[in-house]
Amino acid sequence: MARIETQAVEFDALLKTRGVTRRRFLEFCGAVTVSLGLSEALAPKVAEAIEENVIGKAKGKLAPVLWLELASCTGCTESFAQVETPDVATVVLELISLNYAETLSAGAGYSLELAKKQTMEEAAGEYIVIIEGALMEGWEGNALRIANEKAVDIIREVSANAKAIVCAGSCAVDGGWQAAVPNPGGATGIEPFLKREKAAGRFTYEVDPTVDIPPIINVPTCPSNPEHLVAVLVDVLLVGKLPELDSHNKPTLMFGEYIHDNCPRRGHFENGEFVRQFGSEEERKGYCLYALGCKGPQTKNNCPIVRWNRRVSWCVEAGAPCIGCASADPTKAGFNWVDLNTPFFNRVKNLKIGDIILQPATLAAGIGGIAAIALIAHGFGMKATGRTKGGADFESERKWDAKHPDKAIATAPAAQAAKSTQEAEAAEEADEQTEGGDQ
Amino acid sequence: MAHLAHYRQAHPLPFVITHWINLICILVLIFTGFYIHFPYFSGFMGVARGLHLGLGYLLVINCAVRIILSLFIKSAPTAGSREVDRDIKSFLPQKDNRHQFGAWIKYYLFIKKEHPLGAKYGVPQKLAYAAIPFLILLVAFTGLCLYAPTSVVGPFAAFNGLVGGVMVTRIIHYCIMWVFIIFIALHAYLATIEGLAPAKMMFGWKEHGGLVYSPETHTIIGEDDLDGKDH
Repeated sequence: MARIETQAVEFDALLKTRGVTRRRFLEFCGAVTVSLGLSEALAPKVAEAIEENVIGKAKGKLAPVLWLELASCTGCTESFAQVETPDVATVVLELISLNYAETLSAGAGYSLELAKKQTMEEAAGEYIVIIEGALMEGWEGNALRIANEKAVDIIREVSANAKAIVCAGSCAVDGGWQAAVPNPGGATGIEPFLKREKAAGRFTYEVDPTVDIPPIINVPTCPSNPEHLVAVLVDVLLVGKLPELDSHNKPTLMFGEYIHDNCPRRGHFENGEFVRQFGSEEERKGYCLYALGCKGPQTKNNCPIVRWNRRVSWCVEAGAPCIGCASADPTKAGFNWVDLNTPFFNRVKNLKIGDIILQPATLAAGIGGIAAIALIAHGFGMKATGRTKGGADFESERKWDAKHPDKAIATAPAAQAAKSTQEAEAAEEADEQTEGGDQ
Repeated sequence: MAHLAHYRQAHPLPFVITHWINLICILVLIFTGFYIHFPYFSGFMGVARGLHLGLGYLLVINCAVRIILSLFIKSAPTAGSREVDRDIKSFLPQKDNRHQFGAWIKYYLFIKKEHPLGAKYGVPQKLAYAAIPFLILLVAFTGLCLYAPTSVVGPFAAFNGLVGGVMVTRIIHYCIMWVFIIFIALHAYLATIEGLAPAKMMFGWKEHGGLVYSPETHTIIGEDDLDGKDH
């Protein structure tokens, strides 16, 4: 107990030097706890764990992390690392030893590449790789070269000895924007790439050869949400295990519910109150953005709860329809969230048939229209052939019967052809009697 | 008089009722489905979703009831006859239909002048009707894939994963609706273009005289004008 108290005092001093009050720190711990899907009552535990780790790791045991930037806009780095004032997130950053990050590292060029190499050699099986951006496989891997090396080679090498890989942002998950049609550079996500390499016999996970690829945690969205990344890091570093993942290797607790179901505009949806045009009175009233093509109803993420920019707001709250950036799916070849959700401001995605791009609604209405025209034309045909008043006369016998008298379906001679007026009358009478019997 | 007689035995009352339920369910489901697809006017989403879910379940239940009843209730397997057999036989291959598929297609395309002989349902008609329960199952399944509380349940979640997400499932669900729309257009057209007698039977259970067909000899054997009532 005394040890923890000492630690807390030491830690408070550290916070103070960074201009963070203990109160704000605990608030932050609460947010991390919620992101992890834990009860907020556990926030003190998380705070304690962070305190212990920051102090403990300060003595040279920080978890080594490599932040690789591939084909990216650096938005994820911005999202994760932007600090207006010394932020509590920077304290958490002291949980890790960020040995390589193109944007954040002070070093550059040869010395930075050396730091990466040393980490990979000295901390094999221990380091965590955070990957931002899509991997480019095009032009034999020359579509993306870093420090005169093909990015595909770097990923293969770095993954072989990684403790875990965190794919930060949708591009690293399924190729994202870069992988959208026509994708000339061969952009792909990390997980599909490593699986393909493994299948082709070009990759072995040296830390544990019994598994195909290293543990992967996909944290999509564009950019990746800093709250998500911090929560995942806290999970891996403090709890010491991977968070619970779904079939896309996304943390279930963050990507388990539809945005729509937690949306603050949901009431307007149920009431049928929609924004139909930007700049309209309905928009001013904060109505539902469904009619503008909001992808919240088919995108799973906890944006409405965790929110963005230090929990200030998020897309839909700020008035922009969701574009479904969290729907990145690493399990489908040639699949990416941009193609899946474009056009962003339309209710359904485009269908591509060869070079023609159209909406399912247009296609379906077209086919329906053709069917309607065909039926109307057929109706005129029916009218012209005099079939509209009771149909055409029945055939006296099946064509098959005429051709195959020995195997005929009808077992009586063709009645209509044979019957005389008298016979018909007799049959009618017989029928009437039967009818009477029924009644 | 070229039509076969329409007797109540061909469409027993329970099936007239299930047909009414099908009609109402499908029309309301299509309307509310279009609204959920895109809210063309305001103030209806909660009601639209409630109706869509409720009538969706009713359609599936009605379909199941219709199939189960067809095993027990007897109906006339051919038009123009009061002789009855288990109703399910009308949806299975019948001797009266044998070798007549080509004849029906030729008749519809005006290549063949005379009306083909057959059972209660012609060959293309029977194929279409037999496909409807499968279509209902498929549309209900994709519907439950989209409905948030069930979308996370095993088979529904697996289907969403297989096709590439809820957005793709939505498009499949939407396309099946269009198959229903085209079926209804075709069905309503073919059932009424040669006269309203079949529709009067199906909706109002009203009999209509005409030619008499024998299920034993598989051919037309006479004419019945229902006591001289209207032709």
